[in-house]
Amino acid sequence: MKRLLVFVLLAILVISASAKVIHLKFFYPVGVAGPLARVINNMVSEFNKTHPNIKVEPVYCGNYDQTMQKVQTAVLGGNPPDVAVIEISELFTLINMDAIIPLDKYVEKEGGEEFLSQYYKAFLGNSYAYGKIWAIPFQRSTIVFYWNKDLFKKHAKELEAVGLDPNRAPRTWYELVKYAQILTERKGNEVLVHGLILPGGWNDWIFEAFMYQNGSYLISPDAKKANFDSLEAVEILQLWHELTNVYKVNPPLRPWNTTPVDFSAGKAAMMYYSTGGLPLILKTANFRVGVSFLPMHVQYGTPVGGGNFFIFKGIPKDHQDAAWEFVKWMTSPYWAAYWSINSGYVCVNKKGYDEDIMKEHLKKYPQYLVARDQLKFAHAKIMAPEFQRIRKIMVTNLDSVMLGRKSPQQAAEDMQKGIQAILDRYSK
Amino acid sequence: MTVVTLIPLYLIIIMAFKPGNVIFHGNYLLPSLKLFLGNFKVVFESAPFFTYLVNTVIVVSGILILQLVLIIPAAYAFARMKFKGSGILFILYVIQIMLPLEALIVPNYMIIRKFGLIDTRISMILPFIASGYGTFLLRQVFKQIPQELEDAAIIDGCNHLKFLWYILIPLARPTIVAFSIVSIVTHWQDYLWPLIATNSPEVRTLTIGLGMFVQQESGADWGVLMAATLFISAPILVLFLALQRTFIRSFMTSGMKG
Repeated sequence: MKRLLVFVLLAILVISASAKVIHLKFFYPVGVAGPLARVINNMVSEFNKTHPNIKVEPVYCGNYDQTMQKVQTAVLGGNPPDVAVIEISELFTLINMDAIIPLDKYVEKEGGEEFLSQYYKAFLGNSYAYGKIWAIPFQRSTIVFYWNKDLFKKHAKELEAVGLDPNRAPRTWYELVKYAQILTERKGNEVLVHGLILPGGWNDWIFEAFMYQNGSYLISPDAKKANFDSLEAVEILQLWHELTNVYKVNPPLRPWNTTPVDFSAGKAAMMYYSTGGLPLILKTANFRVGVSFLPMHVQYGTPVGGGNFFIFKGIPKDHQDAAWEFVKWMTSPYWAAYWSINSGYVCVNKKGYDEDIMKEHLKKYPQYLVARDQLKFAHAKIMAPEFQRIRKIMVTNLDSVMLGRKSPQQAAEDMQKGIQAILDRYSK
Repeated sequence: MTVVTLIPLYLIIIMAFKPGNVIFHGNYLLPSLKLFLGNFKVVFESAPFFTYLVNTVIVVSGILILQLVLIIPAAYAFARMKFKGSGILFILYVIQIMLPLEALIVPNYMIIRKFGLIDTRISMILPFIASGYGTFLLRQVFKQIPQELEDAAIIDGCNHLKFLWYILIPLARPTIVAFSIVSIVTHWQDYLWPLIATNSPEVRTLTIGLGMFVQQESGADWGVLMAATLFISAPILVLFLALQRTFIRSFMTSGMKG
């Protein structure tokens, strides 16, 4: 009798617990053009429909930096969100703030490595710290090489004259310089069409790509040694200097967000840019857009970028469980594919490419496949404490090389000195 | 001067009515011949912009009204009354002009949260109502008014409030109008604090909607961005064009008589 009573009570408890609706606050940034806030709202309302116990409230938080600011303020104010998409390099800052929880237990429950293997490995690289996994990839990009097929065709004869194929993008740094020289159109001293744009703003990200292509790295994996005064680094700075100031095929420090405008308007034949720019470029360009791997030197290479899902500390356990359900659902094959198609980000889930909507989409825009195929050669983005300060040092020095204000050697030394000092402070 | 300020406005208007693949092709300075409304369609589909507009009007006018209610008496007290500690108090008041908003975000957030006001329109109003800038501005004006005027008013049977209402405020009208313009424009453009203090679209303001079209990673869709910009700045442009004469008149008649 007593046992029955306990059983009934338990049953009531379970039923009432399952009937309780959990409200989740979901902070997200918007980093690329297009009505992405609406896409997120659609996905969330679909999730809410299929999960009657959970109600996710999507909260638009501006760009990556502002989202981080909002998250930090909320955490400091004792009112953290339940789940958020944050720029991948902020991992260490979030851990140091004690803001997020490790996800190992959830991953374990879903099948451990097998569960993780559905995501592209290159995108998981930025999820680990201190032997734990803290993040699930969501809106992820890499750098790809864009080229204007019509301009290549226009200069076909000149390209062929020096043995270059006008029907493909440059494959090596050496070819890059040659193509850029031929594709640059001038009238007197004025450049009408730039052969190449290596945009400013996030040139630290592009520099990282060049380092991987040169078989090197920026900072050692244990975050102890900076590698900016290496021969490999100086070689890259030298190349950038020559492209910009000697051959003058690359305009110095074209702003990041106007670079696609130049390209779409036919004012640049080639550019290095995020995959996130692809939908807008396809929409605004009046010519055939080519997308290729970044030119290699000793190997192909690119860093990844974008935002990951994080689940927060300081919220009830059932909220964390529900947040995990949400994260899992948002990165499931169909929805990862849906998100990729609508945003231009790379689909983080391998199985997403088997979904019908994705196949349909790729038939129309095969350019989307390049970023995925390049993932074989992709590396995790550098992560280090005080990443924003390290980034600042890089950008300042890269800018001065591009502007011809510092010699490549000098810039390399200055970067090394500044960044090694930051690393030393943390490795003691 | 006028031309320099009008060119960007002109570009905003013509770009807002061009489709994305046309904006930077051909002569971008010329308006397109066909009226293209697709950009506005994208804008209004992306977020509830009319709700945002209503909220912005509520927040901005709420801030202005409460500011005036607070700073006029405060400026009066600082300018024309002698009380203990008024010097230090005034310095404290003025110091807040020098504190950048960014430094106050976390403490403000904590206070607003204590009051349970996160994600409300009030949360966007409260932190701005005690304007040190406005108090300082008005205090200077009130101070310039000669003591004889006050003496005369008191002989005629004025108390503090009546003196303030019938004499000081009319005399300070140009300053009050100027301050109101600055306040409206500033808070119409507030972005970071509303973004942090609010979560739901029901209470959010126009600038947050505009933020959705300014892109970090991909470059902006300029046509859509300009359409949103036009929609957001239009009300304030219209307001100022409509009130222009009133403003100028209030400045003209501000000479002191008597």
